[in-house]
Amino acid sequence: MMASADITTAEPGIPTAAPAPVVARKKRGNHTIVGIVAWIAGIVFFFPVLWMVLTSFKTEAQAYTNTPHIVFSPTLSQYRTVFSSGIWPYLANSAFATLVSTILVLLLATPCAFALSLRPVRKTQDVLFFFISTKMLPIVAAIIPIYIAARNLHMLDNIFTLVILYTAMNLPIAVWMMRSFFLEVPGELLEAAEMDGAPLRKTVIEVILPVVAPGLAATALICCIFAWNEFFFAVTLTATQAATVPVFLVGFISSEGLYFAQLAAAATVATLPVILAGWIAQRQLVRGLSFGAIK
Amino acid sequence: MTAIAPPVATAQPARARPDRRRAGWARRAPLLPALVFTIIITQLPFLLTLWYSLESWSLVRPGSQHFVGLANYIDVFRDSEFWTTALNTVVMTVGTVLIAMVIGVGLALLLDRKFLGRGIVRTLLITPFLVMPVAAALVWKTVMLDATFGIVNFLLRPFGIGHFDWLSKFPLGSVMIDLIWQWTPFMMLLVLAGLQSQPKDILEAASTDGARPLAIFRELTLPHLRRYIELGVVLGAIYIVNEFDAIYMMTQGGPGISSANLPFHIYQRVFLGFQVGQAAAMGVVVVIMTIIIATFALRLIFKTFSGTEQAA
Amino acid sequence: MSEVTYDSATCIYPGADRPAVDRLELAVNDGEFVVMVGPSGCGKTTALRMLAGLEEIDGGAIRIDGKDMTGVPSRDRDIAMVFQNYALYPSKTVAENMGFALKMQGVAKDERARRVREAAKLLELEPLLDRKPRNLSGGQRQRVAMGRAIVREPKVFCMDEPLSNLDAQLRVQTRTQIAELQRRLEVTTVYVTHDQVEAMTMGDRVAVMRAGQLQQFAAPTELYDRPVNVFVASFIGSPAMNRFEATADRDGIRVGSILLRPSDAQLAAAQGHSKLVAGIRPEHLSIGDGPMTVKVALVEDLGSDSYVYGSLADDAESNVIVRAGRQHPRPGEVVKVAVDSAQLHLFDAATGLRIGD
Repeated sequence: MMASADITTAEPGIPTAAPAPVVARKKRGNHTIVGIVAWIAGIVFFFPVLWMVLTSFKTEAQAYTNTPHIVFSPTLSQYRTVFSSGIWPYLANSAFATLVSTILVLLLATPCAFALSLRPVRKTQDVLFFFISTKMLPIVAAIIPIYIAARNLHMLDNIFTLVILYTAMNLPIAVWMMRSFFLEVPGELLEAAEMDGAPLRKTVIEVILPVVAPGLAATALICCIFAWNEFFFAVTLTATQAATVPVFLVGFISSEGLYFAQLAAAATVATLPVILAGWIAQRQLVRGLSFGAIK
Repeated sequence: MTAIAPPVATAQPARARPDRRRAGWARRAPLLPALVFTIIITQLPFLLTLWYSLESWSLVRPGSQHFVGLANYIDVFRDSEFWTTALNTVVMTVGTVLIAMVIGVGLALLLDRKFLGRGIVRTLLITPFLVMPVAAALVWKTVMLDATFGIVNFLLRPFGIGHFDWLSKFPLGSVMIDLIWQWTPFMMLLVLAGLQSQPKDILEAASTDGARPLAIFRELTLPHLRRYIELGVVLGAIYIVNEFDAIYMMTQGGPGISSANLPFHIYQRVFLGFQVGQAAAMGVVVVIMTIIIATFALRLIFKTFSGTEQAA
Repeated sequence: MSEVTYDSATCIYPGADRPAVDRLELAVNDGEFVVMVGPSGCGKTTALRMLAGLEEIDGGAIRIDGKDMTGVPSRDRDIAMVFQNYALYPSKTVAENMGFALKMQGVAKDERARRVREAAKLLELEPLLDRKPRNLSGGQRQRVAMGRAIVREPKVFCMDEPLSNLDAQLRVQTRTQIAELQRRLEVTTVYVTHDQVEAMTMGDRVAVMRAGQLQQFAAPTELYDRPVNVFVASFIGSPAMNRFEATADRDGIRVGSILLRPSDAQLAAAQGHSKLVAGIRPEHLSIGDGPMTVKVALVEDLGSDSYVYGSLADDAESNVIVRAGRQHPRPGEVVKVAVDSAQLHLFDAATGLRIGD
């Protein structure tokens, strides 16, 4: 129930008006249009992923057909097939290569980034330049010697070959990302710790690491994404023992032929971990992709 | 009490700062493991590739390597396949980057406004970038673009296009569709970061000065976005020039080599043809191409974004 | 005993053309509250940081209790610092922040907790001990920063513009609290600010700095009554002292067409200087019958007093500020102004130095 506005005049001859009614401003209308277009775009872009997941729950008859079914009763049979077709060793290899290489990357990159940010060395710019440049050179040009070296060292089809290569692959990104996080630590904080008598080791552990911990996590997540998805090294340097999930996918097609629902299930299993990781680390993706240049 | 007049200016030698030099090595030490590791794993192979490109060598015939100087390079430049795949590389890179950037800018502009469910839409829009490239290629090849059973053809049926074999008729195009789908979120995120870094009060000032939205965009926003767009274009180009996974999965470079780019072609030469020398020469050419693009990228990253200031 | 001595201390940043701190000579007594004040870039913060060990001592020395601190790292100097932006450790609670230095020294947990509680009581921080900095207001964070310093019971407190991030009202309140606290704890304190009101109200003695060089180091009243040069005269006191170009002759000091008669000693000292700067504070001018004629440009009425801004009638470029009471002239009026010549300050125009007593 609306209270009626009390119209009183302070002095004769000086009227005060009742409050004007609130009018929906034009701005709100614009944002609705923006919202609608944005949602449409979001759905369009997400559609292939959605369709992949939906298809994975269909029977082959429902999937491999002229007229796509939107309503259907889902089945887990495709997933059962995928998991019984020997995907587990591939998953294990991927997990191993991803986790171990990411741990190595963090162990190497964190002190390196620390040295390049909080205790700058004279050649800081040169070192940074060098790290980025390694990321920009095409790996296809390096694969020949790497393959030959791996072959001669009997490291072909060895998961540790991938671990080493993934570490080298992610190191530049990690160094740049961690550096950008270290640079965000306020200088005064370090000075306060120094005045409080903290030696370098304690300063790092008690003051700096807690502040950059979220950055560390984000960097780790980004490295995991790139390592998990990596295909080129995996397909050229592994065969049966050390093959990872991307290689499995490729093999799955050729051995199973074009069975859409199965393929969709395999693809979903392969991509799900990274999609989830990416959703969690969304904000940090930009930083990683732009070498820490953009927050 | 004490009043002090400013001292007469006489030069006085400043004491040298002795501790800096000794501490130098202590500061450098944390750097070294990462640096040394990277140098060994990344630089040595390139040097070796350079060496191999000057030899004739087939992996099938061990001990067959011998020095041939620049002969491989001459062969490469005379090879029509090289030029075709080089052209494919350029078309694929330029096309993907441009289209992805244009769409990316549009999406970023949308996401810069508040609307209901903005966070969810953003999550939906970045998902394509997260999908494993071979999985994405797989999905596009089968479920989306398949001639008979793909959903794209189904959706295009009302427009008269029912049964179109995308992968045979438009092999390069099909690969590009997959790449554009995967890379647009990257462009969008970079441009969005640019939009969000623009101080809002500048826009408000322009609006108070009587500028209409389109003018504000043209005069203020676009110049501000320029360095983000440049960064996206250059970084995207570097990654896409080296694209491999999608081609391998979708078309294997075919029909023929109509959808093969240089990296894929090199791969075929090495692992299917076992011709190391020529493949190495092509690899060097790709490296030079990438260096040219990368120089722009590095200058951009350092010039406009050198985050060397410490936060207060 | 914690005396602090700057002994011709110098600091030059590499690549700079002049020293940031140029041969500073300053002696701070035990338990004294010394304020370093000056405009931006005058070197006051650098001088403070040299004492704290955060900047190198490139020339001269800094002594604490007679011991030369050159080359001694911060943690061995027994100095506590309060930073401008507080520099609280974000991942630690208030109690942990305050106890951190003690933890680094290896003080036992119980002793640490006791000392933290004592300091917290002094600063009314007890209810906040378990909070993290992000859940504190600006004023609360400032108190925690002070608490962190107090807990250490150091030889010297260094404070780097601790009030500059507080809003005006809080600043005034906290100012008195800091001064009271220091008096109670009797710890030698060196305090840096750009606000001369803070300097005048808080310091036992104040060091005015400019371009790396010390201008004057004296008690606030001394600075106010007997500024040693034009810079100090115009920096201390708000509104600033009036300054006029002047010359001296046998009869008195001439400012344009006005003749002023200072004390005989002052007039005698002024002979021989060809050009002078004559200074007089607004409160030593008054609206009323006198030698000066002022055209009023604007009036600031502050409630208790007012300040009349204008220019000399025969020099439109000059600036005059006169303190008046509730009754004051209006803008545009031309008024006569009386001058209390006994309060005249005279400076040599070339060197800026004070002439006379």
